[in-house]
Amino acid sequence: MEIRRRDFLRAGMAAGASIAINGLTLNAFANAKEAKIGTGGTEPGNWIPSTCQGCTQWCPIEIFVQEGRAVKVRGNQLSKVNNGYCCVRGHLILQQIYDPDRIKVPMKRTNPQKGRGVDPKFVPISWDEAMDLVADKIMELRKNNETHKYLLMRGRYSDHNTILYDNLTKMIGSPNNISHSALCAEVEKMGRFFTEGYWGYSDYDLDKMKYLIVWGCDPVSSNRNVPITTNKLSRLLEEGNVVVIDPRMNNTAAKAHEWLPIKPGEDGALAAAMAHVILTEGLWNKEFVGDFKDGKNRFKAGQTIDEAAFAEKHTHGLVRWWNVELMGRTPEWAAGVAGLSKDQIVRVAKGFANAAPRCAIWYGPTMMPRGTYAALSIHALNGLVGASDHEGGIVTGAGAPSSSYPKFDKYQDDVAKAGVKHKKIDQRGTLKFPNLASGRPGSGVSTNNVPNAVLTNDPYDIKMAIGYFNNFNFSGTESGRWDRAMAKIPFFVHIVPMVSEMTQFADIVLPAALHHSEEWAISRNKGNLYGHISIHQPVIKRIFDVRSAETEIVWLLAEKLKAKGFSNIYDWLHNEYKDPETGKNPTHAEEFALYATKIRSQKAWDPTQSKDYKGDRPEGWEDFRKKGVVNSPRFEFRKKWGTPEQGNFPTATKKFEFYSETLKKSLNEHAEKNKTTVDGVLEATNYEARGEKAFVPHYESPRRHGDRSQYPFDLIDMKSRLNREGRSANLTWYHAFKKCDPGDLSYEDVIHINPSDAKKLGIKEGDRVRVTSTIGSLDIGARLWEGVRPGSVAKCYGQGHWSYGRVGTKDPAKFEPRGANFNEIMPDDYDYLSGSTARNGGFTGVRIEKA
Amino acid sequence: MAKKQLAMVIDLLKCTGCGACGVACKTENNTPDKTNGQTFNWADFITKVEGQFPNVKYSILPVLCNHCTDAPCVKACPVTPKAMYKHENGITMHHNERCIGCRQCQEACPYSAEDVDKEKAAYSVISFNHDDPHGFYRDTSELVKGGTASGAEVAKKAGNTPPHRTLYKHSDYAGVRRGDIVEKCIFCEHRVIHGEQPYCVAVCPSRARVFGDRTDKNSEVSQLLKKHKPLRMKNNKGVMLKDNEKGTQPNVYYIRSFKAAAPKA
Repeated sequence: MEIRRRDFLRAGMAAGASIAINGLTLNAFANAKEAKIGTGGTEPGNWIPSTCQGCTQWCPIEIFVQEGRAVKVRGNQLSKVNNGYCCVRGHLILQQIYDPDRIKVPMKRTNPQKGRGVDPKFVPISWDEAMDLVADKIMELRKNNETHKYLLMRGRYSDHNTILYDNLTKMIGSPNNISHSALCAEVEKMGRFFTEGYWGYSDYDLDKMKYLIVWGCDPVSSNRNVPITTNKLSRLLEEGNVVVIDPRMNNTAAKAHEWLPIKPGEDGALAAAMAHVILTEGLWNKEFVGDFKDGKNRFKAGQTIDEAAFAEKHTHGLVRWWNVELMGRTPEWAAGVAGLSKDQIVRVAKGFANAAPRCAIWYGPTMMPRGTYAALSIHALNGLVGASDHEGGIVTGAGAPSSSYPKFDKYQDDVAKAGVKHKKIDQRGTLKFPNLASGRPGSGVSTNNVPNAVLTNDPYDIKMAIGYFNNFNFSGTESGRWDRAMAKIPFFVHIVPMVSEMTQFADIVLPAALHHSEEWAISRNKGNLYGHISIHQPVIKRIFDVRSAETEIVWLLAEKLKAKGFSNIYDWLHNEYKDPETGKNPTHAEEFALYATKIRSQKAWDPTQSKDYKGDRPEGWEDFRKKGVVNSPRFEFRKKWGTPEQGNFPTATKKFEFYSETLKKSLNEHAEKNKTTVDGVLEATNYEARGEKAFVPHYESPRRHGDRSQYPFDLIDMKSRLNREGRSANLTWYHAFKKCDPGDLSYEDVIHINPSDAKKLGIKEGDRVRVTSTIGSLDIGARLWEGVRPGSVAKCYGQGHWSYGRVGTKDPAKFEPRGANFNEIMPDDYDYLSGSTARNGGFTGVRIEKA
Repeated sequence: MAKKQLAMVIDLLKCTGCGACGVACKTENNTPDKTNGQTFNWADFITKVEGQFPNVKYSILPVLCNHCTDAPCVKACPVTPKAMYKHENGITMHHNERCIGCRQCQEACPYSAEDVDKEKAAYSVISFNHDDPHGFYRDTSELVKGGTASGAEVAKKAGNTPPHRTLYKHSDYAGVRRGDIVEKCIFCEHRVIHGEQPYCVAVCPSRARVFGDRTDKNSEVSQLLKKHKPLRMKNNKGVMLKDNEKGTQPNVYYIRSFKAAAPKA
């Protein structure tokens, strides 16, 4: 029987065949009638460079634009940090741009009541009215000499955060520029700072590496350097060794040669035992660390050693570390504590050291109570094998050229000068919050302590807050505190692309332009041994009346304040942010954003500046704009090693410190400021160490909320490869491909339970379970998964929004969440030395029952 | 065999199952969101877990249309000339205009499900458009009246549906398929014609996918198939064809293992 389409068509279908959607006819028939079989092709379009900030890698990307629409995304073809590829998150950008729930105009609250589940009854207003209301509040603070009661909270940011987050806050007269940093990853930096004086994220030489240990992170999924690691991991899998240490089988673990499913929070025990093995086996890197003067290895379990017997080269305090901490940390001991096999610990420690110095431990954020010492212990291993700063190892990475922003100081008036002298709202620098960022007590942020301070008016009350690209009511642990604190702040302005939980507490909502496609900015970062400076530019015309948070909104506010008699901010921006090409002063918000971008990147694009720069050299601004990125020269190894006589590490001793004189100095400084001793500090901040232990990498037992008899499971908070900094829940592609997170399922939000545990609890795949911690309960679907350690359960961060759009929220009108946000049941705790929020290390004990 | 057989080799050691190909395919081919048990994921994934803690083996395999030499979907297509047919380059091509939406191809394909939810299938190569696609961008509801947008408004302001629609032309298929017909991966022939790679190949950050002519001994595809023992998918449950099985002669090959081999002693 022969059937042709026209024979088959029913009347209704025939109508369907020529339907037009929004006036645009689907093009199949039109083409087919005229086109020859096997012809076609992509319609014209342009790849325009910009930057993705879907994670902290800040990849240079390109967006394909057809008819003014963003239609595809790829890595910037000139980028050396991603070699022209983006990860899965890059492709999600398109749904973020065309999110149906984007805020299209400024809005104001009409319901004075604030709280979770209270409808703010937002109504649209003009930009003029919105900025007028914001400026009025600032003028009021100025009039009353309480500008310090202004709080600025930063989420995702570019280099231009200097203008809004830093300078504007100081120009208004407040010390309170609070970043999100301590919510996500600051402990990791403690590990490198107090051993080798480097405060920042690491880079890795994967090409020359022979042995990679991935510890508590998943670099083919999240954290950093994802596209390049995705590309380079297979060589190591084929020719080298890859070992993963994590209580759950993450993506790298699934591919690795070995997986060490460590008990949550016991990282310090394993690290100490690995150091013990490396030393007792005589496998430390002699070129970096040095050797016993007579060449005989005296490292024997349980035996102290005379410090004078060892001649160190580029390191400091090896023998003291051994005597104070390591001599008893045998692999047998660690096997028991960390729930691993002794043989595996020994095998991995030896394998790692045998590959020295072409090996590295790539470690994660270690965001757990007492995490500083775990991070120190882990990174000390990188020192022991001489992998730090070495080819094939872990390095600081390269920088990228940038020019300074114009100064604001001379425009800062007396009201502002007095205001900035107040203490910061997050209580940093008090006894409980040493916050030793870059070794300076009280310099780091304790983001998640802000609601505690706001609720208790300690050190004072906050009268006005602005938040941008942040959602602390979702991303902060024990998030109910944020709900109460934000309800208490009398005037809150949220600058965001879409309504989130935090926005529900806003008095004014300002619709933000998206960083990857709608605004001018600059971001710098590094990876693959190169640094880069990457442009953000408006690759498409904005479809709604949105503005750039860090530049345009600052300008609009400056104009309003000028109209109200306070012109300093306008004068600063207008006078100082001149177009470096023409010397013209900015006359409106967009021009200001463009000039700020040109100013920040001038060193990178202006051929007359830094003439001897060996990185990429664009021919000028226009050329830089077209290329989008300037790559630095390749990182040079061993610059920090110096000589045994004169080290070059920026530590107190100029050496890699196993006994941290740098930490000793910082802790003493903090103790003195708070009129106590170092032991007094450690006691107040819940660390176990006393005396000399405080200054060496050492084991601290996991601090846990919940007695094991009542809360038997350790909760693991895992990250998704699809989370664009937690901004993906309203994207349908996120849900469609959620199964790409090992153990997770598409269109669901689940908790991973080992089948052996589930059996004991009578829980089957797909059952609803109630998960209870010391502070609350949440219901969620059970996923039986062999890839999680028995006794631990794992839940991915990212879902459970009660306000995040039509896809992200089950019922936006009723504020009914889709999935569960486990931050709601994770208690408010810290790695106090860094001020970082605890979320790792199984610090939350939970009970699981059938719901 | 056709005079040419375009084929794909996926190196599982290189693949991390990151999802980039799956999402990128949706951006290239403007495929709708899942509705009515139809995934519309021309590039998708299937996961496998073997063993027990701590000896667990997890793998995630990228899947797509196998462009079978002995394609049951083509045999099943009842129209003349066939809507689902073998192109001379070996692609299992779908001609949109000829399609009557009878779904016999979907029923015949061992890698497809008529409803993935009802059949509890991990994926389906062929999807069927019950309605006009992209209803998400035709919805006019606003969460905050006058303050936030709607799908329809975003599409209208952007000027297309879906708003991120990649514009391409092809003689056989549309960039967005209409209601009442099936759709599936066509190896991005609109790109291949111009010497470009299928988009899933072009975007793969681990370069796990290699595309080329299997009848050309010098192609990278042929070289890889010679070097490594390839496996091919038997069905959409993650089962592979045995050595003595031909199945439908799929032209998507998997080489190496997701997990690294034990290190040499």
